[in-house]
Amino acid sequence: MSDITIRVQAVRRDHLQRKLLVFGVLAGLLIVAAFFSSSLCPYDPYEQNLAIAKAAPSAEHWLGTDRYGRDMFSRVIAGSYTSIFSTLLLVGFISVFGSLVGILCAWSGRWIDTMVMRVSDMFLAFPGLVFALAVAAVLGGGVQNAIVALAAISWPKYARLARSQTLAQQERPYMQAAKMAGCGTLRMIRRHLVPNIAGPILVTAMLDIGTMMMELAGLSFLGLGAKPPIPEWGSMMSDTRNLLATQPWVTLAPGFAIFFSVMIFNLLGDTVRDWLDPKNRR
Amino acid sequence: MKWKKLAALAVSVSLCIGAFAGCGGNQAAKDAGGKTLTIGDTTFNSSNEEPDVNPHNAYAGWACIRYGIGETLIKYSDNMEIQPWLATKWENVDPLTWKITLRDDVTYSSGRKLDAASVKQCLEHLVAENKRAKQDLKLASIEANGQELIIKTTEPKPALLNHLGDPYACIIDVEAGFDNGIVAGTGPYIVTDMKPDDHLTLKKNEHYWGGTPKLDKLTIRTITDGNTLANALQSGEVQAAYGMAYESYPLFRNDKYTISQISTSRCFFGKMNFNPDSVCADPAVRKAISMGIDKENFVATLLEGNGFPANGVFPAGAVFGGDKVKAEKYDPEGAKAVLEQAGWVDTDGDGIREKNGRKLVVKWLTYPSRQELPLLAESAQSTLKAIGIEVDVNNTADHNQLLKDPKNWDVYAMANVQAPTGDPEYWFTVFAVSSATKNQGKYQNARLDALETQLSREFDPAKRAELALQMQQVVLDDHAFVFCSFLKMSMIAKANVKNYTSHACDYYQVTADLDVE
Repeated sequence: MSDITIRVQAVRRDHLQRKLLVFGVLAGLLIVAAFFSSSLCPYDPYEQNLAIAKAAPSAEHWLGTDRYGRDMFSRVIAGSYTSIFSTLLLVGFISVFGSLVGILCAWSGRWIDTMVMRVSDMFLAFPGLVFALAVAAVLGGGVQNAIVALAAISWPKYARLARSQTLAQQERPYMQAAKMAGCGTLRMIRRHLVPNIAGPILVTAMLDIGTMMMELAGLSFLGLGAKPPIPEWGSMMSDTRNLLATQPWVTLAPGFAIFFSVMIFNLLGDTVRDWLDPKNRR
Repeated sequence: MKWKKLAALAVSVSLCIGAFAGCGGNQAAKDAGGKTLTIGDTTFNSSNEEPDVNPHNAYAGWACIRYGIGETLIKYSDNMEIQPWLATKWENVDPLTWKITLRDDVTYSSGRKLDAASVKQCLEHLVAENKRAKQDLKLASIEANGQELIIKTTEPKPALLNHLGDPYACIIDVEAGFDNGIVAGTGPYIVTDMKPDDHLTLKKNEHYWGGTPKLDKLTIRTITDGNTLANALQSGEVQAAYGMAYESYPLFRNDKYTISQISTSRCFFGKMNFNPDSVCADPAVRKAISMGIDKENFVATLLEGNGFPANGVFPAGAVFGGDKVKAEKYDPEGAKAVLEQAGWVDTDGDGIREKNGRKLVVKWLTYPSRQELPLLAESAQSTLKAIGIEVDVNNTADHNQLLKDPKNWDVYAMANVQAPTGDPEYWFTVFAVSSATKNQGKYQNARLDALETQLSREFDPAKRAELALQMQQVVLDDHAFVFCSFLKMSMIAKANVKNYTSHACDYYQVTADLDVE
């Protein structure tokens, strides 16, 4: 029985490895393409040419042109920089900041823990996107403000996770041993605690990339994200929704860009979670 | 197991019956309610200064007259000439005195008979409540005698009758009150329910003096988003629409719909901020902006030909409009030279000019309820960037609030009917002279003010037109405004909707003849 289980695990592991490789490469390609977007654009994504406005997809303009005659393929590529890097920045910030807050609370305990956790409860009690809308409306439009708005509501999830993980790890014998060996607080956190709680946080962060990308696009769609003429997938869809029935490619191009990116990052997140799942370990 | 299947089948059948019963109920309600029509409108909302239908409140008179609630003493023909409406005749007794005779067969929807005393009450309330009306009418006294009204003005008012045709002068029964912005007018329809920024429900006025209205119930739905409005018309949620984005017109150019279009004096224009802190306080910047907007291409492509490039304040059809005045043409190279001469130079190579350490950034404030204003903003953003001006667009429904603080904007792009009363004076007194009600940019020119004083007292139409041309030239030479395009007023309806017709004044829409077949 145990032989079969080990063999099944091995097959699953190999399958997971392949999935991880495929989705990792796809996500990597997206990030690299976003990074080099300015070099990859065949046309200037900002340059208007009203003479070729709303042109259908062709060999010259693969995804057609928008109402200002701007090349949609170039704008979708340029939009990847705003959409993907804004999302990565946001997820990076909330996962690091939230985790630090969680570790601090669990480690120090007492009133700091109580106070910060009640604050995080307050944030968690609000409907997420509604609160982000309110914050973004107060701060005004712009990608930076949209990131701040989403960061403001998203960090408590990581704080809660890091706190619970830290509390669980604190009682483990290796932590006690490190303490008895005279390890300082910072060294214990850095060398012993963080490597042992990083897995769940990393998985949560990976799964959050797709969600955050959607939420950023949602804020932009509502006019609280990127401002014109900055190409950003959500705002591009919003700006062109009048054309959905007559020149659908203008709206569908950024829509599919969001769809494929979110799907790739979600599948990558799922695969990383499975990969780190002890049940799938040999 | 069998009884479970039977139970599931019974539930499904009952649900289906329920659903069909619901449909039948709706149909029955429709039949019982008589002829009904729902119009979707992007402009009937508080951000457009039309929060209700009280004509004495801001620009709500447009809604009052547009939806057949109120009527004015005179009305405009298709050529914007004055015709009798609630007044049958008038006489300019002397430069300060007007004698107006009213119809004798009109009653308000409150049941009160229209007479000179009730009109006097209405006009007195109007000037007490509406700053623009007070400034236009300059009323000294009103005398009511049966159906005869004697109006005396404090100074000669040649355009008094034109002003009395402005939507703010809808004649309403003041004694009937202003219940949350609902008024009793003399029009073919009576308000039964209103929720600002959402809907207005009207029923037919059975005692309308101009014949029995064809519809039993009329609903106006406020739908500010053009895309939603297009979807609502396609789905049949509304049967007629006003304010649709021109981009959606191809969806309705077929047998199922009719499009009624007419050229009006509705203009897209930008007003400059003369506040010393604004970059537009610099004449070179204003001139460069005027030279840096590609009006021809904006009209041809972004308005899809549903308008005309603007030269001055008024469109070409008017005797005081069109190319009789000289305005800047689109000239990017010329604009660059103007900025260079004024010391605006791109020193850091980022494509945006600077002067004394200040970047040439123009805060462009506009609003979305006129669907093409955001397109104008983005088009100007591109063409002005080419001459070294960065345009920071703020497209918001909150524009009226932001406009109050001069720090919030440098250019305010808006849509306005320039000559809603067929007379040129309105535009100058509302936007341009130093005492103008909407001169938030604090533009001042002593010559313009002096010409307006002359215009306000000039009775000869030819001389009025000449003065209006001179005044336009002053405004254009100062580059105080940039006029981009005139629009065609367009209304779209299902093919079975009859007599939903555009008018040159822009605000006659619902009449007693409006019908659904």
